[in-house]
Amino acid sequence: MRGADYFLKRTLFALVTVFVAITLNFIIFRATPGDAVTGLRCQFCTVEFKDQLRAELGLDKSKWEQYVIYLQSLAEGDMGRSFVTREPVVDELIDPLLNTLPMIALGTAFSIVFGILSGVVAAWRRGTFLDWGNLSFSLLFYSLPTQWLGLMLLIVFAGTLPASGIADPFLAFTDPSWWDTFVDRLEHMILPAATIGIVLYGEYALIVRSSLMEALSEDYVLTARAKGLRNWAIVWRHAFRASLLPVATLIALSLGYLVAGAILVEAVFSYPGIGLVTYDAVTERDYPVLQGAFLILTLSVVFANYLADLLYFKLDPRVAE
Amino acid sequence: MTEPVLAVEDLHVWFDLEQGGELHAVQGVSLALQTGERFGFVGESGCGKTTTILALMGLLPSSASVAGRVLLEGEDILADGEESVSPHRWTDIAMVFQGAMNAFNPVKRVGEQIAEPMKLHEIAEGRTARRQVGELLERVGIPAARASSYPHEFSGGMRQRAAIAMALACKPKVLLADEPTTALDVMVQAQILQLLIGLADDFGLTLVLVTHDLPIVAQVCSRAAVMYAGEIVEIGATDTLYHDPRHPYTRLLFAATPDLYDEEPVLSIPGTPPRLDRELVGCPFAPRCDRAFAPCDRVKPRLVATDTGHSAACHLNDPALKAAS
Amino acid sequence: MSTIASGPGAAGAPTDPSDVPGGGRGRGGVVWSVLRSRPQAAIGGTVLVLTILVAVFAPLLAPYGPREKVGPPFAPPSSAYPLGLDDGGVDMLSLIIYGSRVSLVVGFAAAAVAMLIGGSVGILAGYFGGKTDITLMRVTDYFLVIPDVPLMIVIAAIWGRSLTNIIIIIGVIYWTGTARIIRAQVKSVRERVYVRRAQALGASDSRIIFRHVLPQVAPLLVANTVLTVAVAIFAETALAFLGLGDPSLISWGRLIENAFVSNAITVDAWWAIAPPGIAVAVVILACTMLGTAIEDALNPRLRVGHLSVRRFRLRPLPAKDPQ
Repeated sequence: MRGADYFLKRTLFALVTVFVAITLNFIIFRATPGDAVTGLRCQFCTVEFKDQLRAELGLDKSKWEQYVIYLQSLAEGDMGRSFVTREPVVDELIDPLLNTLPMIALGTAFSIVFGILSGVVAAWRRGTFLDWGNLSFSLLFYSLPTQWLGLMLLIVFAGTLPASGIADPFLAFTDPSWWDTFVDRLEHMILPAATIGIVLYGEYALIVRSSLMEALSEDYVLTARAKGLRNWAIVWRHAFRASLLPVATLIALSLGYLVAGAILVEAVFSYPGIGLVTYDAVTERDYPVLQGAFLILTLSVVFANYLADLLYFKLDPRVAE
Repeated sequence: MTEPVLAVEDLHVWFDLEQGGELHAVQGVSLALQTGERFGFVGESGCGKTTTILALMGLLPSSASVAGRVLLEGEDILADGEESVSPHRWTDIAMVFQGAMNAFNPVKRVGEQIAEPMKLHEIAEGRTARRQVGELLERVGIPAARASSYPHEFSGGMRQRAAIAMALACKPKVLLADEPTTALDVMVQAQILQLLIGLADDFGLTLVLVTHDLPIVAQVCSRAAVMYAGEIVEIGATDTLYHDPRHPYTRLLFAATPDLYDEEPVLSIPGTPPRLDRELVGCPFAPRCDRAFAPCDRVKPRLVATDTGHSAACHLNDPALKAAS
Repeated sequence: MSTIASGPGAAGAPTDPSDVPGGGRGRGGVVWSVLRSRPQAAIGGTVLVLTILVAVFAPLLAPYGPREKVGPPFAPPSSAYPLGLDDGGVDMLSLIIYGSRVSLVVGFAAAAVAMLIGGSVGILAGYFGGKTDITLMRVTDYFLVIPDVPLMIVIAAIWGRSLTNIIIIIGVIYWTGTARIIRAQVKSVRERVYVRRAQALGASDSRIIFRHVLPQVAPLLVANTVLTVAVAIFAETALAFLGLGDPSLISWGRLIENAFVSNAITVDAWWAIAPPGIAVAVVILACTMLGTAIEDALNPRLRVGHLSVRRFRLRPLPAKDPQ
């Protein structure tokens, strides 16, 4: 079957990367000068408490033993307990993750749609003012630091849109309809999503433009024109389809940015997603939570990349070669 | 004498240059082809032969400007530029491009791309189209089942055949082939040429073959035009071009052909073709010509008949000038 | 098979200057000629140079000291303080000027680290091929997939927040992109005539790499490094924003973080937030413009677009000249 071993190769790669990430997670947190407990700052962290914690975490055992215990716990879904709340890390991460997903989905959808539109227009109208204008805007948006853009949007929209959180705390008391809750959630999501979306839009517009320009200079475009196809049909049915692969590749590569963006905007907007959890964990040096968040984020990206790999094959059958 | 299926009258093409000025790539090309004729265009790279045939279909970029007429069965298809020429694309004139390898879109199946013009020009669609695609592929020597393959799954030779099949999808009257055998190995070349001849006969095509490879022209074409620096310098029956050329360039060209059985050394023509971004004085070939004499640097030779159906642009054919020097 | 043979340098057969031993004219000239011919590069380059000058001459340019309290917290912009004051009553303009130092140092140093690692990996993988190539690229691929910022955050949180640490961490995260690009370039250079000649003559690998391969990939390396500077500056702001910057140093990232943490938003003190972000954006923009201009010049896509909104034009026949 065509592509069967491509599928297998990509699956294997994804699994190995996951394993590398897990091990990396372990190495970073355990193989450091001094151990994780020493730098801990919290109200009840006395010396006795820290020693007890060390024993509990098994930090007094050999590194190899620790590694094995670590892998075993992971297999059981146990990521330890938060230093701060003493709750299982897993519980601390699930809900925030579910909060983050729709928010970045919204931002990404925005940036993909407008990025593609801009890129196509710019490539088609190459050399005109539209192209130049699009290029300038894209470059500009691409250069803005995410957290700064978030802060600026916050200042501008402070009155009209909610400045933080995920929901209006008082809404629940008024027995809201499904629609009211939805609108409320959306209002809280828009600013963080827009922040991520605007910076990402810049990048995507640039990528689509150059990819499409490349496609439009290929010979098969001349053939299509020779066959009598109209310009728009050539762009849509030939050039665009052929340029999708590089576009998809680079969208996949920007997944790393999405994660960074999520952390930064959730900090700015106090949006209770996994980014905010990471931010708090860093501030409080809550290592188990930080470790868990890192793992979740990495696994998400690896998984998304894997899905993208499978999609590539559909877009351009040559990748299997 | 019946009306020619394709006639070109004084075709000029200019390209705007980035640094200003323009390149006069095609300088007054004229010819007339009868139905079923097999015609060749030969010349060095850059002489304008590809630009000429692209102009026949109006496939020029926005930096180009065109003058002259292209008459398809009497109708000037370039009269309104893109507007008037695009309805004739593929249905009346079709082309097999240089490097047909890249003529196919890599992310679409071959059969789909062959059927595309059929659907576009409302000749066939759906199952009918698929059947016709299958028939075309078989006719060029590719199993019909391969229609569902992607271009990169074909060998170079197969892609060339597929490109020919695609060109014939709408049963055109004229088929333009630009270097159809370059980058293919010798065995495959021969097969492709046989194929083209066979198809021309079966479909009643008028074939225009552009190449820098002379034996091909000798094998396939009954008449040919030799181009140099954007102009036709000699035009006539291929046999005459080979054995009794009336232009030094033609003679040197054909003499440069190594003969397997001959001991003679391969001649190369020293020098380079002239730049086309400025006006030329005199004969464009004079600097490289081995028979240049007094008038050649000053007066540009016109294309004049040297015999029935044969013309050349050289002062050497003018007895009056020769006597004067 | 016969073809028409013309003299050397016939139209349509350009000679590749890099087929001359040693790379011909040398590719260093490329960067300079790009700067001269493309406005995009010139603007980007000029802005970068100006920023560097500001950083170098900061004490001379800044009206006040970077820790000098000159007024009430969050005083708005006025003629005395064109960018207002921050939460500690320090002049924002001076802070921006002084902040350029650390931001640029981190940007350039981290990019240099990334270039060294990435360039070496790319050259080794591309030149030696085979097992070295496969192993190195596998490692690169894993690093590429693992998200950069979380990894940086985690390492910085544990290993400490000194300036050197930050530089090393950023450099170590971002070498992968450079490695892939350089590897591809090295692979193509390797096939060039003069490299084979040098190998045939028995030159050692390191000699070939330094004398033949390196000069050819140098411009691409430069372009890539410039783009990495942009990424490194952004990474510094991200780390600083999350409280992982060096606490004793002032950088643009720290200024943004400080404004956030001291609730400049609640008092609508936009002047404490906008300037550092704009400064960062300007430098990132300059680097991106310069880097992409050089990259574009090295990958000439001279091919004409086959589609255009405008069409070819018709014109009347030229007058027959009476020669």
